[in-house]
Amino acid sequence: MVQTINKDLVNPVGKSVPKIDGKGIVTGQIKYVFDVSLPNMLVGKMLRSPHAHARILSIDTSKAEKLSGVKAIVTAKDTHLIKFGSNEYFFPHTVDQLPLEDEKVRYIGDEIGAVAAVDEETAEEALKLIDIKYEVLPAVFDMEEAMKPGAPAIHEAMNNIAVILPVNFGNVDRAFKESDYIREDIFRTQPAAHCSMEPHVCVGQWETFSNKVTLWSSSQAPFKCREALAKCLKMDLNDVRVIKLAVGGGFGSKLEMMPMDFAACVLSHKSGGLPVKITYTREEEFSFSRRKHPMIYKIKSGIKKDGTIMAITGEVIADGGAYCSYGPTVIAAAIMRIFMVYKIKNFRISGYRVYTNNPISGAIRGFGGVQSGFAIESHIDMLAKGIGMDPMEFRLRNATDPNMVTINKMYLTSNGLKECITKAAAAADWKNKYSKMRNQCRGIGIAVAADVMGSKMYKSHESAGSIVKVEEDGSVYLFTGAADTGQGANTALSQIAAQELGVSYSRIRCKSGDTEITPFDTGSFASRVTFISGNATKRAATDAKKQILNVVAEEYKLNPEDLDIIAERVIHKKDSSVLLNFDKALDLCYSFNYGRQIIGRGSYNPKTTPVDFRTAEGNVSGSYGFEAQIAEVEVDKETGHVRIIKMWDAHDIGKAINPQGVIGQIEGSIAMGIGYSLYEDLKFKNGRVVNANFANYRLPKAIGMPEIETILIETIDPEGPFGAKGMGEASLLPTSAAIANAIEDAVGIRVKELPMTPDKILKALKEKEQTTPQTATESQQ
Amino acid sequence: MIFHVNHKTYEVDLVGHETLLEVLRDKLGLTGTKTSCMESECGACTVMIGGKGILSCITLAANVAGEPITTIEGLADGENLHPVQQAFLDYGAAQCGFCIPGMIMASTALLTQNPHPTREEMEYALDGNICRCTGYLKIFEALREAGDKMSQLKAPRESALYQYIPAVSSTP
Amino acid sequence: MLLNPLTFHAPKTVEEAIELYSTLGEVRLLAGGTFLLNSLKLLKKRGIKTPQHVISLRKISVLQGVKVTGDTLTIGAMTVINDLFSSPHLTDNFAILRTVCRNISTNPIRNMATVGGNLTSRYTWTEMGAPLIALEAVMHFCGTNHTTESITVEDFFKNFAKTEKILTHITIRRDPAAALAYQRVKKLSDVDVPLLAVCIRTHFNDGCFTRTRASINCTTSFAKRDLVLEEFLNGKKTANGIAQEALAHLDTSIYDTRSDDYKKSMFRISIKKAIEDLTRRGQT
Repeated sequence: MVQTINKDLVNPVGKSVPKIDGKGIVTGQIKYVFDVSLPNMLVGKMLRSPHAHARILSIDTSKAEKLSGVKAIVTAKDTHLIKFGSNEYFFPHTVDQLPLEDEKVRYIGDEIGAVAAVDEETAEEALKLIDIKYEVLPAVFDMEEAMKPGAPAIHEAMNNIAVILPVNFGNVDRAFKESDYIREDIFRTQPAAHCSMEPHVCVGQWETFSNKVTLWSSSQAPFKCREALAKCLKMDLNDVRVIKLAVGGGFGSKLEMMPMDFAACVLSHKSGGLPVKITYTREEEFSFSRRKHPMIYKIKSGIKKDGTIMAITGEVIADGGAYCSYGPTVIAAAIMRIFMVYKIKNFRISGYRVYTNNPISGAIRGFGGVQSGFAIESHIDMLAKGIGMDPMEFRLRNATDPNMVTINKMYLTSNGLKECITKAAAAADWKNKYSKMRNQCRGIGIAVAADVMGSKMYKSHESAGSIVKVEEDGSVYLFTGAADTGQGANTALSQIAAQELGVSYSRIRCKSGDTEITPFDTGSFASRVTFISGNATKRAATDAKKQILNVVAEEYKLNPEDLDIIAERVIHKKDSSVLLNFDKALDLCYSFNYGRQIIGRGSYNPKTTPVDFRTAEGNVSGSYGFEAQIAEVEVDKETGHVRIIKMWDAHDIGKAINPQGVIGQIEGSIAMGIGYSLYEDLKFKNGRVVNANFANYRLPKAIGMPEIETILIETIDPEGPFGAKGMGEASLLPTSAAIANAIEDAVGIRVKELPMTPDKILKALKEKEQTTPQTATESQQ
Repeated sequence: MIFHVNHKTYEVDLVGHETLLEVLRDKLGLTGTKTSCMESECGACTVMIGGKGILSCITLAANVAGEPITTIEGLADGENLHPVQQAFLDYGAAQCGFCIPGMIMASTALLTQNPHPTREEMEYALDGNICRCTGYLKIFEALREAGDKMSQLKAPRESALYQYIPAVSSTP
Repeated sequence: MLLNPLTFHAPKTVEEAIELYSTLGEVRLLAGGTFLLNSLKLLKKRGIKTPQHVISLRKISVLQGVKVTGDTLTIGAMTVINDLFSSPHLTDNFAILRTVCRNISTNPIRNMATVGGNLTSRYTWTEMGAPLIALEAVMHFCGTNHTTESITVEDFFKNFAKTEKILTHITIRRDPAAALAYQRVKKLSDVDVPLLAVCIRTHFNDGCFTRTRASINCTTSFAKRDLVLEEFLNGKKTANGIAQEALAHLDTSIYDTRSDDYKKSMFRISIKKAIEDLTRRGQT
């Protein structure tokens, strides 16, 4: 959908204002950590395990230390041996990774140490000179094998199961008996990579005498990084400064402190305070950062003839790799998302997050929802087909409603799911297309999804803070802890600040994600920034406005409650008469008599209830977003190639703060979803990534991108800033199933394993030909 | 060795095995040019030489010394953004922005030759530039707008893509 | 640094280049650089020794450009793929090269990679081999002491693309009566990794295929002709159904070596499509 920018920057909420850092981007002037170069900066390299599973017997760095140009070498003995993890609050036992491992390595690439040298060549040479003796242990790479008794024990966990999550509501056995149609399916999803264009990169500097650590890191969550760094370094939070510059994408891969972040700081300390830069190569990025959890999703459902879902049971196994990372949340989200989408009374799915000797699975856009979205939404289509019901109607019948409490006690307030389904279907001309294009090998498929905006699963609180500081000349600073990673957080938050303060967007400058300057924020994940950081920012702007209005009221001897600032003017609320303009009001604030600095502050912690992970009950998010997606595809029966003709996406985003940005997020998500659906596949052989480059791990490219029609549904959320909800991940969740369902509609085959590559499609077509007589397939339509 | 980058002349002490990417970023401080793979797969290091988008990560700097090189830093005319830059901004074609310098250089090379490319021509011209954020659609919109602007600025060439004849057409 | 130290040479004439090439040890020729630079980086990364000298052919203007003299199309070895693509000379049987060029890699690579580099890089999957064999193209090399050598593209690949000379240009004879079909399959939709290519050239005589050349690139070994298929087609009427029939007359050693089921299916479909395409033209 074409959405050009709006030149009128007053009352910016709801307008497509230009990206606040856009000029820097299009001119190449904006700085990423990738571009940072400091005087006397050293090059750091990580020392990694060549074995998938081994005990470290000894490490001898003496030869490497003698190499000219080597400035520092660190190993576990230079550290406090404090473990870090991502779900410390709810799942303390999943805090399982040392910044530098000391006794054991658990995957190929596990970090053992690091080297800082004057240049890359020297650093690499030094790595080769480090002599490590290992006792190689048997390794396990298959998640089902890893769960069997007698499998190599990777951590202490019984049967290598790091997290068990039983989710159980109602009476499934009775509900199955009352069902008219029951079916069971198994789906498998592949490991995949984030592929942010800027690789992981950091610069660490440790001022040895003042004992102060600064880390420039390409991070989605600088405060989370600081927390782990301070913990592992045994330092106070205010002695550790994490600075985020422009971030070249993250998609979940940059949500944690990485061992490289820790190593850069410790190397700097050991080299006497010189800055140390560590940059991942693309190969390291693919092999040793994080990856999407591959999952086996077994699901069995019973439904009534009229399409009512009676019961769902199943089992989810996720290959978590060597450490837990965000695993607990991923497995929880993979199971519990369904409650936001469908009214379900009887449910029993158990999730197992399993350790293997593969690289670490972690957070990735969609948090388990991409995997479960493919499984559940494919399965739902097959259920509808089983009773001869239109899958779009089937979804409408079971969809959740506004202002309802789900069986696991989520409070769905604003909910445009049904409107999303009907509007997407209308735009796509569903009724005239579904099951009616098979003679052209074309098909149409629908899938729905919902998403949280924030998730109180990482800390006791999930607050965000903002400061709105108005300068003497009326220009405005917004300080936010939220981390813009390219999605446009700084822009949307600046719009919110400007709108609430009553000034033009052009007055705002935004500083984000510097733990020394900006207020705390848990980071950019779970589509939380617009909703949570947006509310904090709105509160900060309200506070700043109040301070200005107090001065004006005092001067004019009026009641501040009767005043407001709208469109750059201070007005009387009663009759909208203009008292003075914003600049004059600021002159007054900073005048001889008043001299009051305008510093508004805001903090927001969503109203949620803690999730009890023994029962899966709890209201994890302050609001929920919904969407329906439709794909129209054409399948080449000879080559198995799937061409996506068009996609429709109807998305309940509450209120679009910046429609252009919202549409950009949706289009980007769908592109990523197409990649995950059709070809992206991180391949492994004995724990080693074998396609660690863009030549062999193919990403969606300009060629073949389908048209995408976006329909924004504005339900005006009661809790969201100006009614806005978070978004950015939900659009990725239904894509694979929408495409799979469309393929089924087109050529009558069901692919249950991602990615749906041409060879799999062709194989399924051949199998279908062999099992069904030719005439049966041809008789359709 | 002499390098002509963005209409400026630089004398660079070259050891001989630097890639153009390294010279631009490390020696000339022109960090606008990015790289995401360093192996010619991502397009983030695209710069223009002789009106064509080429990959600086697989170009030996010594091989192009003396030739006119344009990077992202050389597109704007003083304070005024180049029409392609302006259109990327106006149409929301940039998200994280890391691929954008390369993307803009590839787009500028296309539109200079062919200001009104079809969608297919755009896809082929940009098929070497990976963007993980946008899904490319807004980039296509920006190209349409920028092409219009550019053809208003100077007389359009008819079917420039096919008219283009290599500068040197002699053969052995 | 991405590369190991090397000495860079930029001769301005072929003679100079030959002189350097034959006298310097551990030397590599640099054409477009799309293969060489990446391979030098990879060797460095793996700690393998890299050549000491690189001779760039970029400044030798005589190696560039496309022209037609009489019945002959001449493509300079240093002509980049996109320049060949946009050359106005690609008419008649030469026109197939436009399709070939368009399908090569990505645009920046097409802006840099040269026809000569594509042929002499010794990567088995490169795109120019199959169509140039079908077109009976000839490669012309220059050696020391002004010696020249001409060899058909077919023979060049039979000899595993080995040469110690410098490729200067490629020639193809114009053949307005020839009909050509080119099929190329990518590994996945929307991406450019080649899986296989099929190029068939034929002539029609009394509604029969004649002088057919079927050239196949299976990408795991160099492009070569399928003589079994050629023999089957020659003399056959361009009747419907001939394409299907032809599938029983293939040199299976080309198609089955290191091919999975999917690739084998794609071979059959590509050959079928190519012959159907030619049959249609033969019938009109």
